[in-house]
Amino acid sequence: MPNSQPSTLTDSKSVGVLTSIALRLLWRDWNGGEIRLLFFALVMAVTSVTGIALFTDRLEKALILESANMLAADRVLGSGRPLPEEIRQEAQSRGFRTAETLSFTSMAFSDSGNMLVSAKAVSDTYPLRGEVIITDAAFTRGTPVLTGPPPGEVWLESRALPALGIEVGDSVYVGEAQLRVGKIIIAEPDRSGGGMLDNAGPRLMLHLDDVAQTNIVQPGSRVSYRYLFADDAMAALDDFEQWVDTEFDGEYRLRDVRDESEEVSDALNRAESFLLLGSLFAVLLAGVAIALTAKRYSERHYDYVAILKTFGCTSSQITFIYLTIQVVLAVIAIIVGSLLGWLVHVGILQLLQSVITVSLPAAGYQPYAIGASTAFICLLSFAIPPLLALRETPPLRVLRKDISQQKIGDSVPYLFGIGGAISLIYWYSQDFILTSVLVGAIAGIAALLSVVSYLLLRSSGSVGMKAGSAWKLAMTAARRRRKQNVLQVMVFSITIMSLLVLTLLRTDLINDWQAQLPENTPNHFMMNISQGQVEGIESFFAENGITGNAFYPLISARVSTVNGSIPDPQTDMDEEEGGSTLTEGAGEVDSRYDEIRDSLDQQTSADLPAAAEAQADEAEPVRGRLGRRQVTWSSQLPADNRITAGQWWGEESQPGFVSIEEEYAGWLDIELGDTVEFEINQQSISAQVSSFRSVRWDNMQPNFFIIFTPGTIDHLGATFISTALMEKEQKILLNDLVQLFPTVVVIEIDALIEQIQNIIAQVTSAIELISVLVLLCGALVLLSCVNATLDERFHENAILRTLGAGKKLILSSLLIEFSLIGLIAGVVATLGAEGSLYYLQEEIFEQEFNFHYWVWVAGPTLGMIIIAGLGVNSTRQVVTISPLNVLRKVV
Amino acid sequence: MIETKDLVKSVETSEGLLTILKGISLKIEKAEAVAIVGASGSGKSTLLGLMAGLDASTSGDVLLDGHSLAAMDEEQRAILRGQLVGFVFQSFQLLPSLTALENVMLPIELKGEADPQGKAKQLLERVGLEQRGHHYPNQLSGGEQQRVAIARAFATQGKILFADEPTGNLDTATGSKIIELLFDLNREFSTTLVLVTHDERLAQKCDRSINLVAGEIVSVKDEELVGA
Repeated sequence: MPNSQPSTLTDSKSVGVLTSIALRLLWRDWNGGEIRLLFFALVMAVTSVTGIALFTDRLEKALILESANMLAADRVLGSGRPLPEEIRQEAQSRGFRTAETLSFTSMAFSDSGNMLVSAKAVSDTYPLRGEVIITDAAFTRGTPVLTGPPPGEVWLESRALPALGIEVGDSVYVGEAQLRVGKIIIAEPDRSGGGMLDNAGPRLMLHLDDVAQTNIVQPGSRVSYRYLFADDAMAALDDFEQWVDTEFDGEYRLRDVRDESEEVSDALNRAESFLLLGSLFAVLLAGVAIALTAKRYSERHYDYVAILKTFGCTSSQITFIYLTIQVVLAVIAIIVGSLLGWLVHVGILQLLQSVITVSLPAAGYQPYAIGASTAFICLLSFAIPPLLALRETPPLRVLRKDISQQKIGDSVPYLFGIGGAISLIYWYSQDFILTSVLVGAIAGIAALLSVVSYLLLRSSGSVGMKAGSAWKLAMTAARRRRKQNVLQVMVFSITIMSLLVLTLLRTDLINDWQAQLPENTPNHFMMNISQGQVEGIESFFAENGITGNAFYPLISARVSTVNGSIPDPQTDMDEEEGGSTLTEGAGEVDSRYDEIRDSLDQQTSADLPAAAEAQADEAEPVRGRLGRRQVTWSSQLPADNRITAGQWWGEESQPGFVSIEEEYAGWLDIELGDTVEFEINQQSISAQVSSFRSVRWDNMQPNFFIIFTPGTIDHLGATFISTALMEKEQKILLNDLVQLFPTVVVIEIDALIEQIQNIIAQVTSAIELISVLVLLCGALVLLSCVNATLDERFHENAILRTLGAGKKLILSSLLIEFSLIGLIAGVVATLGAEGSLYYLQEEIFEQEFNFHYWVWVAGPTLGMIIIAGLGVNSTRQVVTISPLNVLRKVV
Repeated sequence: MIETKDLVKSVETSEGLLTILKGISLKIEKAEAVAIVGASGSGKSTLLGLMAGLDASTSGDVLLDGHSLAAMDEEQRAILRGQLVGFVFQSFQLLPSLTALENVMLPIELKGEADPQGKAKQLLERVGLEQRGHHYPNQLSGGEQQRVAIARAFATQGKILFADEPTGNLDTATGSKIIELLFDLNREFSTTLVLVTHDERLAQKCDRSINLVAGEIVSVKDEELVGA
């Protein structure tokens, strides 16, 4: 060994020298192309992850606030019976804010009129979240307050005043209590989230202390008790929820906004899955781009390393130099990416300004941390392996170009990349099953792709040989680079596939939502309509320009026997459904409708406002197994219903037949042709099952498990149900409607529908934006992939040109080669996209899978155009710079 | 200064084991200039690579300034190269993304010596390129690039200079100038010079030539013999 001590990494001076060499190389390589692409890929990964994380973080916070609006609290506990006092005490001992409400329907009386109102009594602390908006003059905008009415006072909704013929300051009777109308109530936070009891008429809000003197609420009365809880710490609320669950053995359950509305929670869950999938694709594509560019970057640096080694640089110093370059690059990419990510999320929020009405709390630091970690994971798994291979470059390469490093196998970088990809998927999804399925799917697709594209390239070679010379040139080039081309086709296919999957999924999701709640979704239900009123209501709608819909007869029925024996289903149907919105399942409408009707009966039959008699123990209607269902008859198949077995009877129907919802039929073990006996109004009716139907429960329309042919049960005395779309300015007409038809119950769901539509609009925009981000990542991958073979193409084509090949020949051969690769990639991508969409839609998004026929044309065509465009554009220089320059550079 | 003992280099090829060098033993004294000549494929560059510690031999040993290369791994050989050796290559091997000045500074920096910029500037001046220090290799002619490479080779004032076909990529006139420069500097720094060449003029300027045929030394011509 030489006497003088050589520089080592432990020497701080040497660290400084190596760092400055690294920085100089980084700075100068910026013009070299690869390092820029590598940087862009990193920035892209950080931008998409940070942007999405920031957005979801703040969206979640916005939704928490919005849920607060929907609930007037963070969590709600509701029940038809008085709630245990100890729950409230526990909440208070935990430092939560609490409030209490009590809802019931009642007739309100004035000297000049009466009307059915949805009464809600609130405690002093109501509302815990959101605001009550009140005013002094009917139909004006109002001002927000953070309280309910004081004792002795009621607040009434605008349209109740003309109906009762009163003004602010006058008195109304609620039950036995005489209360002063203090304010007009324009909006309350938890109006849309309330049940049927909260939507059966205009709101009358009173203080909880006044309930006793109304004397309406008696044991057995239909009332809805609610405890409201709020706290700034979500975790503390979750903990409390757990406590309630264990302490009361599951009898009571706290609810948040997701429990309140299945439509909202569905939309949110799907949007979250989509965002997750989108960011996964974005990061994976950025990862592929990083891997490709890093590989090319390191290939270009073999000579550098050999020269550095010749002058005494050790392998560890090489590692140090290249790690420094990567770390510096990553740090800059993280800074730029975080900034861009922040801008992206500001952009989204700007777009959504009109739908996000609440002021958003600032995002935490986690989104940035997630973005930064993604950059390092991507670098570690995708870029470091090929760069580490650099350290093995033999110095002899300065004398002999053909020597390259052999110590690290070609597969090692891929293994690292695959490992990194799997950990990224798992990290984002936190879902072992999704991870394994996704990884399995991608692996399967990759295997299929390599076989298919290998075979295709092989056969196209022999076809091409017979054609003109540009073809010949292209085919021989394609075949010569078969191994690389197969890899390229794989990368292209997976990229195009990701883009197709995301685009199709996005389109299907948005279409689905639009179909679920189209612009003209009816927002008012009318129930308890008698046969004689149908015509009158129809003409009332026509006169006032209200869009009405079909009237369905409604009658309560129970299945008593199937083919003469009593069915014995093992599970409870309602438990399986789990829905909770107003129209989610006829069962839900049934029971709530029963509540209203019972409540009405209770008050109208008992000589109001005299004390209602204590009701028998009907507070808990028979539900679930063999419970009563609201049934109907119709000659027309209701909208969004589909016959899954048997036949719909049509206009020429015969009495004595019935159509049953398929899941309900399965649950009762009913077959086509079975005779089912129903108990309706103490009479037995038999009908033969002629068809099964699927029903779209979430369309906010009347839906039925059981539909009879006309003439089967008509004589048993049904009431009718219908829906109507009423614009905001038409709502005052409700007064006239209930005055003309006093027995009709109107359920207002316009607030709920508006809220759902708003949330869906939000998530739709988010989905659009993430699609654009993934598209950009995809473009980056395609560009890197084309660039990966650039050196070789330059060299080859320079030789061809030296040998006299014309520009036109070379360009057309390039065009043919890239088109072919693009075409194959497009076909394989379409195949893979439809395959994975099938799985994703059926298993994760719970959508029905449909073939997208146009994609089979668009996929391959687009693949061909994009790849050919990108490829020819990148390699076009081949014919513009002098062959001598190329040969000098590369040889 | 350099001694090889029964140096053998074999490589695996698709047609079996190929022996490129078949037991080379030679000695090169301090400050001596030696040319290795021979036809293409005779093993000249392989021998140069082994003597310079760029590659490991299959058997035998190289003693470089008394250090046995056979006993060293690549890390140790790299450190030794940094201390002892300078290189000039046929294809110049300048780093394209660094300027002429930075290329010359690089080995000085790697060796950890003080004032790399000052030393590099002096050397560039010495090779007549003081005005071109901030140019990139692709902005320089072949001759200029080789002069930068020569400046770089002498930058760390190593005891031994290895040159692989230093005039191979240059026209005759430029080649002559490069030869002049190389030998001037060699004398100035009393460096031991080993060069591989096809160029008769270049070989003649050396103290002696070692002629390789198919991996074996056929004859060693000293200056007098060549001159005779």
